[in-house]
Amino acid sequence: MATDIRPGSAPPAASDDGRTGSAVPATRRPVSGVAVGLLLAVGLLVLSVMVSLAVGSKALSLGEVWTALTHPDDSYARTVMESRIPRTILGVVAGASLAVAGALIQGITRNPLGDPGLLGVNAGAAAAVVTGTAFLGLGTAGVWAAIPGAFVAVAVVYVLGSGRRGVTPLRLVLAGAVINAVLTAYIQAVSLTHPSAFDNYRFWVVGSLAGRGHDVIIAVLPVVVAGMVLALLLIPGLNVLALGDETARALGASTAVIRVGGAAAATLLCAAATAACGPIAFIGLAVPHMVRAVTGSDHRWLLPYCAVLGPVLLLTADIVGRVLVRPGELMVGVVTAFLGAPILMLSVRRLKGRM
Amino acid sequence: MRSIVVGVSLFAALLVTAALTLALGDLGVPASRLTSILWADLGPQEAFVLERLRGPRLAVAATAGAGLGVSGALFQAVTRNPLGSPDVIGLAAGASAGAAAFGLMWTGVLPLPVGALLGAIVAMALLYLGTGQGFSSPTRMIIVGIGINAMALAFVQWIITRTTREQATAIAAYINGSTASRSWDDVRLMAAALVVLLPMALVLSRRLRIVEMGDDLADALGARADRTRFWSVILAICAATAAVTVVGPVAFVALTAPQIARRLTRSPGPNVATAALTGALVLCLADMVAQHGPIDAQLPVGIFTAAVGGVYLGYLLITEFRRVSI
Repeated sequence: MATDIRPGSAPPAASDDGRTGSAVPATRRPVSGVAVGLLLAVGLLVLSVMVSLAVGSKALSLGEVWTALTHPDDSYARTVMESRIPRTILGVVAGASLAVAGALIQGITRNPLGDPGLLGVNAGAAAAVVTGTAFLGLGTAGVWAAIPGAFVAVAVVYVLGSGRRGVTPLRLVLAGAVINAVLTAYIQAVSLTHPSAFDNYRFWVVGSLAGRGHDVIIAVLPVVVAGMVLALLLIPGLNVLALGDETARALGASTAVIRVGGAAAATLLCAAATAACGPIAFIGLAVPHMVRAVTGSDHRWLLPYCAVLGPVLLLTADIVGRVLVRPGELMVGVVTAFLGAPILMLSVRRLKGRM
Repeated sequence: MRSIVVGVSLFAALLVTAALTLALGDLGVPASRLTSILWADLGPQEAFVLERLRGPRLAVAATAGAGLGVSGALFQAVTRNPLGSPDVIGLAAGASAGAAAFGLMWTGVLPLPVGALLGAIVAMALLYLGTGQGFSSPTRMIIVGIGINAMALAFVQWIITRTTREQATAIAAYINGSTASRSWDDVRLMAAALVVLLPMALVLSRRLRIVEMGDDLADALGARADRTRFWSVILAICAATAAVTVVGPVAFVALTAPQIARRLTRSPGPNVATAALTGALVLCLADMVAQHGPIDAQLPVGIFTAAVGGVYLGYLLITEFRRVSI
């Protein structure tokens, strides 16, 4: 694959339907600046992990957290902190997965507003969860049906979206809308007629990091790692795809392979996060969007930034949810929606001229 | 010519669906007796079924479906986006949030439909403020609408986790959009809205067709593009809000009806009248399936519109993808 192509210096490619490939005009940025930015982002991640361990119904100071982390003993502070370790790890894993999945989907659909939900990941996962609890008697274990469910939904969207001349971004989005509608109808029909499934579903669908143990993290980790590795392998291909289908083909890249690979990686990542926490909105949409303002559309920087800043945003949302309604807490899915929507509106306002 | 034939066929299909809806089932009034409505010599049971049970429900489905069809047609013409619809800009989600808030959190303060109306209005106010340019930029409206949708749905889901299972199930049924147990008052509200909005929409649709050729040309021809767009959006929102107040946020009718209408007539422009008829037909068909279908449970009609509309749109897309490349 043509790795010497630098999309960072290429003009944004116009896609088939007239939308531009990226929201930000891609200009060459000094690599050292971007690298320093990544270091800063890692610092931010460490800080948000510490705060996440400190904040809750019994608050600790950051100093206490540091002492408990560096000098393990059986103090009270350590016990309190340990109760917050699973949700913090889950926040890091899910945040990174969702943000990278969002970047992948935006890359393969060349739609800056692309979101894994667009291809039916969330609807497929939710439909499988409802089916598992209502008909297969899986109970709370029904959430693991989310991963195969998401895959089936994305596969159907892909088949629906491919016509005589292969897959195009617009077709994918349209097919995704159809599948979303049909699956949502199915979910509603089943959950309204099966009260116990509805009971499970309504607590899962809101999206939360709380109450998940280490076993959940260990179970999703292999899926996440597989998705991340696949995403890394696809970076050169995604950069070529950003130049437009025609150019990519002319450069000898197989657009179909890149698209299928990207969709598979995004589905793995998003399905794993969704199975563990329920559908969480906006991380996959907002993080790549914000990161692109710093890195441009070069996926070699875009994906690492997303993997670091996704957890920062998700953990921040979780912390806000814990602080806002103490001693209770707001589910993180509610907070991300109310954090993400204003961010989206602000970024719309910053767009120049009429669009 | 083709659009007239299509319109007449749609109207005939609508009449057949209406007759079937009234005739099927245990309480059905046989089709042969339906004409006697005109002479008012019905038996007491038939009168009860027609005037209280199925009559208002059918009329609500037809009028609200027409309203949603008009709304979707205008909105898709303005945004030039086949997925543009009042659902997308957060109107339906706002209505759900309003219904959930007044149905579960502050119970008894306001009736559910008023809550839904309030939610829709708040969502549209947020949309107006959020875009920074009011309703004059359709693309921005869709993007901000995604945000409003997400907030409203998160709010609904949060409320649903805070209540008992029974309450949550009841509100979930309403939020899907339902035509069950509606009264003639609802029909009057929706019919009045249609009487006002439909002629205006028909006038605007001729201008919209010119605007579709490009802003400069439209301005030169006197169909001022910006103003046409602005009023189209206002009309679309009014029509959808009226429908949502009456039947709740029924999914997918506003999105599919104009798509189906456009493919049936094969003519450019918003096809307002055809879309209205298609919307009415889609909602009535879905309502017939909801009432008389093979499923025992009385599911809200919104589930069927999403399923039927979604499958049909999928079919249209597949055949289109085979023929042409978009």
